Parts: sequence; C-alpha cells; structure tokens
Amino acid sequence: MSAAQPARILRLVKSGPELRALESGQVDAVLDPATGTAHLLPAAERALAAAGGPIANSLLAALPREDYRSLLGGLEPVTLTSGEVLHEPGERIRHVYFPNDAQVSLLVVMADRKALEVGLVGREGMVGIALALGAEVSAVRVLVQGSGSALRMNAASFREAMGRCLPLQHELHRYAYAKLAQARQTAACNRFHQVEARLAGWLLLTRDRVRSDQFHLTHEVLAATLGIRRVGVTNAASALQRRKLISYHRGNIRILDRKGLKAASCGCYEIVRNLAS
Amino acid sequence: MRAKKAKKSAAATTVVVMCLYIANSAPNSIKAIANLEAICKKHLPGAFKLEIIDVLEFPQRALADGILVTPSLAKLSPSPSARIVGNLSDRSSVLHALGIKE
Repeated sequence: MSAAQPARILRLVKSGPELRALESGQVDAVLDPATGTAHLLPAAERALAAAGGPIANSLLAALPREDYRSLLGGLEPVTLTSGEVLHEPGERIRHVYFPNDAQVSLLVVMADRKALEVGLVGREGMVGIALALGAEVSAVRVLVQGSGSALRMNAASFREAMGRCLPLQHELHRYAYAKLAQARQTAACNRFHQVEARLAGWLLLTRDRVRSDQFHLTHEVLAATLGIRRVGVTNAASALQRRKLISYHRGNIRILDRKGLKAASCGCYEIVRNLAS
Repeated sequence: MRAKKAKKSAAATTVVVMCLYIANSAPNSIKAIANLEAICKKHLPGAFKLEIIDVLEFPQRALADGILVTPSLAKLSPSPSARIVGNLSDRSSVLHALGIKE
C-alpha cells in the first residue's frame, strides 16, 4: 500500500460509478491491477496515520478481526489534548475511549479538592470501564496527561457492542480485573514503600506505556500521582538523578539506566506490569 | 393484510449474500460499514450474510473479484448480482442495488 498521487489514481479510474464516487470524495483506496496493490487516497492515508496506523490500542487489537470490524462503525477517531478532562466524578459517562498514543490519568478528588492519581490508561486500556461493568457514572476524574490520538464510542453504541460481541466483553472483563488487582497492589505500595522506589516504578510503567525512554511529566503530575508534595518529588527525582538512573529537567524525563531503575524500584512495578499483560 | 404478512416472511427467508470491500478503518470505509449495518438491521434482520474484505490486506482477492475502488459493495445472491461504489450514504440506491423495496 502507498499514497498514490491523484493524477495516477485518475488514470486508474477513468469512468463510471467509480469515478463519480471518487469525485464526490467517497473513495478511500484504489486498486491497481498492474501492480496488484491498493493505493490509499491522501485523505484516507492521513486519517489512518492520525489513528495511529492499523490497530494501535491493545484491547481492540486483541479482538478477532471480524469482531473488530463490527465495532468500526461506532468508533470515531479523536485527538486528546493534555489538560483536557474527559469525565468528572459523578458525571454520566457519554463516551468510552480506546487510546492509541494518548496517556490518560484517573484521579480521585477529595472533599478538600486534593487529587490523587489512582490509575493510568494508555494504549493497553480503555477509559470508561465502569460502563462495561454496568455503572453509568464515572467515579473518578479522567484527565488527559499526554496528548495523542484515541478512538471513542458513545455510551449507547458501546452497550450495544458489549451485548453482542462476546470477545469484547471477555477482553474488557479481563482488563477490569487487572485494574482492580493493580489498585489493590498500589494501595499497599503507597502505604509501605518509599517515595523514591515508588517514583522509580512509576517511571518504568510510564516508559512501558509510551514505549520510549524519554517523556514529559511535570512536578505537579508526579506529586498527584505519588500523593506527595512537590518538594517530595524534587527530592526523590534528584536522588534518582544522582544515581545516574534518570535525567530530569523541567519535566523532561529521560531514563538513562533501565536496569538500575528497576533495581531501585519496589517489586510492585513488576507485579503491576505482569497484571497488565 | 394477511397476504402482505406472508410476502414479508417469504422475503425474510431469502438470505442476501454480500461482500463489502474496505480500506482498513479509513473514513469512507467506516461510514460504509455503519450505513450498511443500519440498512441490514432495518430491512434484512437475520436474513443477510456479509463478508468484509480489507483491500490493504487482501488486494489480490479484491482485484480477482473485479473491484477497482473501496468502499465497494457487491451483492452476490440472490440474483441479479449488483455492485455499488462509495460510502453507501445514499440509502435508496443501496436498497435498489440489494433488490429491497422501500
């Protein structure tokens, strides 16, 4: 497959309903009998690239092809921007999101407005899992932490899809259970483990999600994630930096020594990671 | 009234076999799937068989079936066979191609 030049495409489609569809913008790809390949039109090529290539989200990618295709009609590609709030606690869930390269953080907001991050969703997961378990209202604030693309589906289509698509049901129940187990592990980790070890583990989890040793996280986000004050983040990050495990400058984080960082983390990183896979 | 009912159930037992050629999750392909699903749900409940072929994965298969562009819908049976091109948003021409009377 390749992006063909419009002129070349026009040569392939000379007349008839094909040409009319092409002229009214209803064509995604043109087949070339000479080469035996399909050429994507520029608009389709751009849309597929924006959606992160073929199937980027792991939950969707795990579905049998037929089932995935049956969902496509209800899935809409969207761009999520850092700082955007997708759901507020107590709010009815209108859409579920399957992130491609976007990073989304789940926060519990206390009465005094202090917030603690209780979960992260990236390409491995889904935002709005409550809907898959029969709840209609979000229990958490859902905040986009890293801009990127996602596929979203409205609540009605999602319920309908859950009802008819057993593999989707199975995938989402497995994912919900993994999230529950992770929350239990994290609750114990927050109570017993040192900030530095927790930060190390959390950076490794982020690395796995974004699939890069370099990413951006502000002090504020890290403080909300670890449930500590900003000065605590500074101390822990400086300690990891002194040990040459990471470099950290104005929120730009680079993991320098993955093995060393793993050794510095509490064992919870490994446990949480295994639960996710 | 009775005759009308009988006619309806006779039509419902004829399974319409179709093949939809798409390009992964490109916009017109997604629209075509959604439009066709809505039509099948309303006019052919339980009486259709649909195969969806991604031409980015199987270009040779599409070429062998005489497909030039996606999305394209081919009605294979009952005869006469028919073909319609585009994102299937023109409901009446899809119904016409499928031999469904509104």
